[in-house]
Amino acid sequence: MWIYTVRRLFVMIPTLFGITLVAFGVMQLAPGDPLKAELGAAGTIGETSQTREAYLIMRRDLLLDRPALLNFRYFRNYTAPIREVVFFRGQSRGEIVEELARLTEAPGAPENAARLAFLRGLDIADFDALLADPEVHPRLAHMIATGIQVYLEEEVGLHGVPPAMAVLRDPGSPLQERIGAIRAIRLMALEPFQYSFGREPDEADLPYVVAPWQLWWSRAEADFPAVAPAQREELAGKLEAMVREESRREVLEILETLDRDDMRFFAERLLGDTTFDEKRLSADALRLYIADPLQLDVPTGAAEETVDEVAGNWLVHYDLHLDRYEPGLARRFGYLLTDTQYANMVRRLATFQFGRSATRTREPVGPRILRAVMVSAPLMIMAQIVIYLVAVPLGIICAVNRSNAVDRGVSLGLFVLYSIPPFVAAMMFLLFLGYGVFFDWFPSLGLHSPGAEQFGWGRYLLDYLWHAYLPVVCLSLFSLAAMAMYSRTSMLEVTGQDYVRTARAKGLSERAVILKHGLRNALIPIITLFAGFLPAMLGGSVLIEVIFGIPGMGRLSYESILQRDFPTLMALIYINAIVVMLSILLTDLLYVVVDPRISFEGREQRR
Amino acid sequence: MNQAGESYLDIVWKQFKKNRFALAALWTLVPVVLIALFAPLIASNQPLVYFDGDAVLFPWFLSLFHPDETVDFIFNMAMLAMVPWAVVSVVLSAWWRQRNVPSRTRVLGATGLLVLMAGAMVVVFSLPGMAPRHPYAGRTFVEEEFGNPDARGFYTLVPYSPRDQERGSAFQPPLYRKPAAERERASEWFPHLLGTDDIGRDVFARMLYGTRISLTIGFLAVGIYLSIGIVLGALAGYFGGTTDILISRVIEVILLFPSFFLILTLVAMIGPSIYMIMVVIGLTGWPGIARLIRGEVLKQRANDYVTAARALGASHRRVLFRHILPNALAPALVAAPFGVASAIVVEAGLSLLGFGVRPPTPTWGILLRLGSSNYNYWWLIVVPSLAIFFTVTIFNLVGSGLRDAMDPRLRM
Repeated sequence: MWIYTVRRLFVMIPTLFGITLVAFGVMQLAPGDPLKAELGAAGTIGETSQTREAYLIMRRDLLLDRPALLNFRYFRNYTAPIREVVFFRGQSRGEIVEELARLTEAPGAPENAARLAFLRGLDIADFDALLADPEVHPRLAHMIATGIQVYLEEEVGLHGVPPAMAVLRDPGSPLQERIGAIRAIRLMALEPFQYSFGREPDEADLPYVVAPWQLWWSRAEADFPAVAPAQREELAGKLEAMVREESRREVLEILETLDRDDMRFFAERLLGDTTFDEKRLSADALRLYIADPLQLDVPTGAAEETVDEVAGNWLVHYDLHLDRYEPGLARRFGYLLTDTQYANMVRRLATFQFGRSATRTREPVGPRILRAVMVSAPLMIMAQIVIYLVAVPLGIICAVNRSNAVDRGVSLGLFVLYSIPPFVAAMMFLLFLGYGVFFDWFPSLGLHSPGAEQFGWGRYLLDYLWHAYLPVVCLSLFSLAAMAMYSRTSMLEVTGQDYVRTARAKGLSERAVILKHGLRNALIPIITLFAGFLPAMLGGSVLIEVIFGIPGMGRLSYESILQRDFPTLMALIYINAIVVMLSILLTDLLYVVVDPRISFEGREQRR
Repeated sequence: MNQAGESYLDIVWKQFKKNRFALAALWTLVPVVLIALFAPLIASNQPLVYFDGDAVLFPWFLSLFHPDETVDFIFNMAMLAMVPWAVVSVVLSAWWRQRNVPSRTRVLGATGLLVLMAGAMVVVFSLPGMAPRHPYAGRTFVEEEFGNPDARGFYTLVPYSPRDQERGSAFQPPLYRKPAAERERASEWFPHLLGTDDIGRDVFARMLYGTRISLTIGFLAVGIYLSIGIVLGALAGYFGGTTDILISRVIEVILLFPSFFLILTLVAMIGPSIYMIMVVIGLTGWPGIARLIRGEVLKQRANDYVTAARALGASHRRVLFRHILPNALAPALVAAPFGVASAIVVEAGLSLLGFGVRPPTPTWGILLRLGSSNYNYWWLIVVPSLAIFFTVTIFNLVGSGLRDAMDPRLRM
């Protein structure tokens, strides 16, 4: 039995792969950029740089900045385009206009031809027509600037950093090109420095946090006055209090009592020999009071010293993340398959780290699904209990009264129930019982009355049951009819068997024959159906939950489809597939456990 | 026991007739289809015959060639084809009766003839320039008639079309009749039998034309998935080996998606239209059929008649499609009526969620969606709900009758 189970579990893996592939394909079908749909036009260029940056970060977070299935970007050489980029990024609008004039004069010269080819690759509409008309060159210069920005941010990404860095490092490059390189790197390396730790601090991040502060401190130390011993005592006390404090909110409150002049203390703590917790909180304090520790951007025409300083900052960043920018050959081949949208998605699913949803609130997917399950599952369990409690006895009654008026009547009733789509039933119930148009016996929306949190548990439960009554009825109607019909046939089959005839011939009472000999055997297929209800419990019902306004799984899937929330959608599909497969396996196992006549050997042979 | 010369279909039909409910349902299906077919003859805002003082016009007939929906065009052509078909089939049946052709063949032949004629008309009249022009498209006869005492129009039973808007009489309950003072057209004396919707369209007319859409979606979606399912299932079962493994894996993968959820996702991503919904239901529904057929073909393949056919030199194709499939089709055919019912339900559900067919098209689900926005307009819920329930029950009854008739275990 164990071998059988393990083998079945292994077979699931390729199937799961197939599912992720199909789901991924479906989502690729969706037209347009789901992020832009969510952020509105804010993600487009020309809006404020903050929304643009938020858009880019979200894009990276949702893995949309990578190719779908195969990533060749690590093998491409971006030196030539980056040289052009560096040239244009270092120039002011006016200089670009001059350059355009120069280009139109001699488009055939080899250097100019390469430059023109690069500009044509930027997807500027009617580029040649605009180029031919000197009047519109200022507009064209603007379009080139934004075109280069989009190219760097959305297409090249971090792959363009090494060639730009080479320009920056080369002592022979002119100042203007170094400025251009810095401004290009600024766009390609999103969020270059990590100044503090995230929600879940990881000690491995420590060098990445310390390095920028160290650089900052080496320049800014002189600006901060020495801290008096008494003050030092007090700050040490506060730091200790923060280390002990669990709640993030309390920590923030303590942080707010500090002062910018205290930063010397925290910088020393961060850079000195202290515990990880102290370093972590010191970084938080510094982050709060030092808004812009390292300058990372330069305007066109900046002075040489500024450029040197900023270039130094970038060099620190580059050296910190060297393995990200210049991976070895083996890793590049690895990235070919693993650094893609699909591979990253599979990795997230396989580790059950679903990431954040694509909604505006960026809520993590896992807790979101858990919350929805906690709403759907009780309803589904109640519905299942109703189904078994009503359907099995009904089926038996029908089978016992085979072909007489009772059977006919009940069967017809079941048939009618079977033909009512659950959402039609839901709307009819709401219409007649819920909205006060006819009667106002049941609430129409949600699972709790407003202010239910203040109720005692008894009243809370009653309130819940009152709200859950109609949804549960609607959820169970259809399956109830199907299950009753099923148990009727199952019972009929059993009563035709020889052993039932034998039991009758022994002179047993009809009751004993039906309940002891018939029912026990008839229950076998019915019990095994039980496992099939697991996926329904997790999946909920889209229509019922939408109609009754229940924030369960069905509603969650509906909303994530509506919002093109692919991470949530993917997680839902994945979890559902796993649960369905497990429940099929469970059904098969239950069969063997319940019915001793069936063995695994028999099952294996039949397959 | 079976008499000699009784074919499988004869046996099934004999068994089917014993189930009174199923038989009744089958007979109810006929008027449902006829209602869908003859919808314009029941409700249309175009007068059948119009006399405007000095000329007699036939706007209704011309409007049949220029409906708003392609589905309506096909149904209209089928409706028109029924006239020559009735004549031909009367002649044919007399001839057939003389030659003692069995009744089943006569029914099937006549139906086939109708489909052929309707198809021919659809093709002919959708060619550019072939359809008669409709010069009165922008003209509202009813208003003229109201102003001109000489004008006389003869209308169909219900003088409203599914797209007639009257914003003044929005959300009116059944049997609402516009007060005489507010009428702008002469034909508005006729009550809105089932009320009006959000922009004053007649719910009865919308339900009527919605029948066409529901039936089309039901039948075509099932047609699509039956064909895919039967072919793939048969291939998997017959050839086995790699083919079987591949197809079975695909079946397994698709079956693991919750079907309504998958349909919802696909429709939401691809975009809503009647055809998309049909295709999506068709593409997601086939694995169930394929699995049934595969199992059945596997069972049949082990029989001696297959070996005999192979020994006689029949090709794989012949053995599979001529010998095995006819014996393996029963479970798929039983699933068909249930499939039609569920496709109708799925379409309504999609429309209810707002992912279905877009509003100007009259469908039952859109009315339900309107009703769900405000439960005070109870007729917008009750009417489509009952229609869906009624149709689903009919198809389910036919399906269960067919199942009982085809299942040899229940045959005595």
